[in-house]
Parts: sequence; structure tokens; C-alpha cells
Amino acid sequence: MEAVIDWLVSTRLSWFVLEYRWVWPISETLHFCGLTVLAGTVGLFDLRLLGLVKGVAPAVLHRQLSWGVAGFGVSVVTGIMFIAGTPDQYFYNNAFKLKVVFLALMGTNAALFYWLEFSRIRELGPNDDAPRAAKAIAAASLLFLAAVMCCGRMLTFFRPPF
Amino acid sequence: MLSWLATLEQTSISVWIRETPSLWGFPFILYLHTLGLALLAGLSVGIDLWVLAARTWPRAVAMAGLHRAMWLGFGINAISGVALLVAYPAKALTNWVFFGKLLFVVLAVVAIEQLRREAFTPSQVEPVGVSDRARRLAVWSLCLWAGTILAGRMLAYTHTILLASEAF
Repeated sequence: MEAVIDWLVSTRLSWFVLEYRWVWPISETLHFCGLTVLAGTVGLFDLRLLGLVKGVAPAVLHRQLSWGVAGFGVSVVTGIMFIAGTPDQYFYNNAFKLKVVFLALMGTNAALFYWLEFSRIRELGPNDDAPRAAKAIAAASLLFLAAVMCCGRMLTFFRPPF
Repeated sequence: MLSWLATLEQTSISVWIRETPSLWGFPFILYLHTLGLALLAGLSVGIDLWVLAARTWPRAVAMAGLHRAMWLGFGINAISGVALLVAYPAKALTNWVFFGKLLFVVLAVVAIEQLRREAFTPSQVEPVGVSDRARRLAVWSLCLWAGTILAGRMLAYTHTILLASEAF
């Protein structure tokens, strides 16, 4: 762990993040914008599967998920910048470890959706109900997203004392 | 003004939110504010991108539940926002960025409501094209939410006074 931290703080990325005082606030803004796009597009699709938005085929809303992936990409890139800037504040932070666990659960849940349910979901019409398994995956997706946000917010309060 | 803010800071609720070591104080309220943002701004952004990508629009789409979820997000944000304001009133109320954020939120909520009337009014004609006005509202909404997030983040970096009682 120490070796990884030493390497990270020696990178040009770490220098860039810490050298200019506007980089961190702008990266935070982009991190939240990415999260908002991810939450909005994934949330909209999940709520359709749960039956809250009828009258539109799930496949239509599924197309918007490419924006969500882009938002997630922005959040990952800016997240890596934060870690490169102050790695010890993340690697020794229990909230960060939990956030990574929930991100992995989100990814696993999405993989399960495409493996088990996607072929059935894309055939659904505007007023069709999603299968129960797809609803369970959608509910889990929303819960994991809320958990990731919670852990992200808790980072500040679980910082190591150095 | 500062003396009034200092008095507010000394109220038991303000002190509790700011100083309690419990995670149910300031950290939880901050989390609720983010959750509210995801519900209100997130779903609004999701709808905006949907409107911008669509060539035709299913007028029969049932959006009432979605709009209720967004208003729930607005309620969570309003309550958590007031709690955060009560904790550090001088930090926000002596910073013009805070008022800029409020303006962005108000305009974004107006855009949501205008877009709802423009694009989600049930019609017998099915489907209909997406109007230019709906697209313009969606673009405005995206810009306003970006502005809200930018202003919200900048609050932490642009305040000149954290606590009024320490400014005397």
C-alpha cells in the first residue's frame, strides 16, 4: 500500500491536482455532474422497470444509458484525480473502501441484468410490466446508487488523522 | 446582520447540527442533500436528455409518478438545505454564490414545470414531434442544473466567513 501511495504522489497527475487551486473544485463539480447524469439516466430506466413510468417502452429509456455511462466515466476520471492528489486520504478511509464495495455491487448487478433480463426487457411494449426479477435488479440498482452516494459523502468524516 | 447570524448560530439546533459527533447530524443531512439532488436534478437531467434525443414523443407516457419523485427530491433538498443553513448561516448568507445557487434552483424548477406543460400534456394525437420549445427548455434545464452544482461546490471555496461569532 505504501509503495502505491508513494508512486501515486510522484505522478504528474498528482502534481497537477495539487499545484493549481482551481483543479480540485472544478473536478468536484464535474464529479457531481457525472453523478447527476448517471443517477438521472439509470434512475429513470430503473423507475420504468419498477412501473413508475408507463407509456414508454423500456428500450427507449435504455438508449439514454449511454449518457449515464459517459457520466460515470467523468466521475471515475475525476475520482482518480482525487485519489492521485491525496491517496492516503482514500486508501486508509473506511468510507472509501465501502464505496468501492458498493461500486462493485453496482457493476455486478448491471452485469446480472444484461445476462439474465435484457433480452426480455428490450421486447417489452410501452405499457408492459417488467418481470419480477428485472424489478428486483432495478430496486437493487437504486439502492446501490444511493449507498455509493452515501459513502462518497461520508469520505470527509472518515478521513484518517494525517 | 452578523450579530443576528451569530445569535442564530448559538441556538441549540444550530449547535447540535454543527457540533454533534453523531453521523446523524451534519454528515447525514449533507447526504440527504445529495440524495435530493440525485432525485430532483438527476431525474430532471434524465428527462432533458430523453427529450433532446427523441424525434417523436409518446404523449400517453405516465409521468405523474416521476414528477412526484422529483418533488420529493425538492422537499428533501429544501429541508436539508435549511438545516445546513441553520448550521452555518453566515457562511452562506454572506456569500453571493449562495444566492446564485438559489436563483439557479428556482429557474431550474420553473424549467421542469414548463417542460412538463409543454411535453407531457396528454393528447389524443399519438405520437407527436418534440417541439423546439421543449428542446430549448431541456437545454436550459441542463445548463441550470450544471450551474446549481457548480455554485453548490463553490460555496465550500468562496466563503469569507464561516461563523459570524468568530468574525467579530
